[in-house]
Amino acid sequence: MESAFTYTESELVQGLKAKDQKVFGYLYDRYSPALYGVALKVLNDESNANDVLQEVFLKIWRNIDRYDESKGRLFTWMLNITRNSAIDTLRSKAHKMDQKIQDIGDDVHLYTGNLTVLPSVDHLGLSKVLEKLTKEQRIIIDLAYYKGCTQEEISKVLEIPLGTVKTRMRNAIIQLRNLLKLV
Amino acid sequence: MDASRFISSGLIEAYVSGLATSNEVQELERGMKQYPEVAAAVDDCQLDMEQYVTLQAKTPPTDLKQRIFHIIINEEAARESGAFSEEQATDEFPETKTYVNSAWRWIAAAAIILLLGSLWYNYVFYGQANDYKGRYEALLSTHNTLATQSDGYKTRIQQMEQSIDLMKNPAMKAVKMPGTKPFPSALATVYWNQQSKEVFVMVNNLPEPAADKQYQLWAIVDGKPVDMGVFEMSNPHELFQKMKSIDNAEMFAITLEKKGGSAVPTLDQMYVAGKAS
Repeated sequence: MESAFTYTESELVQGLKAKDQKVFGYLYDRYSPALYGVALKVLNDESNANDVLQEVFLKIWRNIDRYDESKGRLFTWMLNITRNSAIDTLRSKAHKMDQKIQDIGDDVHLYTGNLTVLPSVDHLGLSKVLEKLTKEQRIIIDLAYYKGCTQEEISKVLEIPLGTVKTRMRNAIIQLRNLLKLV
Repeated sequence: MDASRFISSGLIEAYVSGLATSNEVQELERGMKQYPEVAAAVDDCQLDMEQYVTLQAKTPPTDLKQRIFHIIINEEAARESGAFSEEQATDEFPETKTYVNSAWRWIAAAAIILLLGSLWYNYVFYGQANDYKGRYEALLSTHNTLATQSDGYKTRIQQMEQSIDLMKNPAMKAVKMPGTKPFPSALATVYWNQQSKEVFVMVNNLPEPAADKQYQLWAIVDGKPVDMGVFEMSNPHELFQKMKSIDNAEMFAITLEKKGGSAVPTLDQMYVAGKAS
């Protein structure tokens, strides 16, 4: 559900700080698919992802006063809350490393499922991006961003020297970046 | 590290992907402050990462929005009515608040209990005090009655003792006065002290006079009646009644006269008479 009008980011923040439920509704409609996508990628479980998304939006509503505009964009703040909440849940569920990698592998099939069509991004765009990334490039990004893996963990999983993890990550993101320009 | 080293080190990508250690995060944040081009590079990389994330967006179940709104609407309603204590609000000093509240609650409860207890004891003791007061007054009245009776007995005993003293006195002469012909059952006695010349009368048996009448004692001296005074019958415990003194007398007699006595005796109302010697 897209709202017929849009808010600027500072209008959004002001509205949220004023506990404006209409603004909060707009925020939910605009950003919940992206945040839900993150929770789902981290947890690979719809029920857990639902719980995390609910927790995330309640945190946004209750703690909007803690958001500092000078330190970053609202979306970045919301993404961080979502990523942290989901990874905390993942850790509390004591996922094994194997399970994390299994999750990432399964995601290849998930990508062909129901995806929300956002402005300027379409289904084909994503497929194009993913096709052009090597499996290793995708896994290194996803293990770090979605599973919260450390450099040591990635070094072990991919069987690469610890000192090269950052370089591999840099290369993967540069490739991602070039592909996104084509979308 | 200069700006280009920051950009080529992979630190920015590690930071944006969440891979950077806390030391690396601090290092990069210093670089971002120092070099605007580093900050700009971080921003660009973050936008790319967010675009990648957004590509994988998925619409959440439709009822989730309703669930979330249900919670926040309830919270807002509770906050407005003052019943809801927010997370942040309870964060402030929860233990202290609870402690103070519960302490005052206990103190108030204890005060109410003490007050009720005190009221109950007041009621009980007031009732008991009233009871004791009533019993005390009853005892006091009994005591007063007994004291009065005791005084009465004491007076009577004193009178008796005086009477006995009078009779024991060897100078005392008893003059018996039997009833006259119209009043044969009447009897009275005069006790006459031969030394002090005092005269006492004792009623042995005389009818109760009418309210306007009184008995009067007479002495007969040289054949003529001499007034010795009137006396009352009202005090039966008074054995002797003191009359006027007289030196000599041949006879004594009692007549019934009008109240206060008469100058001359009414002879047909003579009840008793007796010779003195």
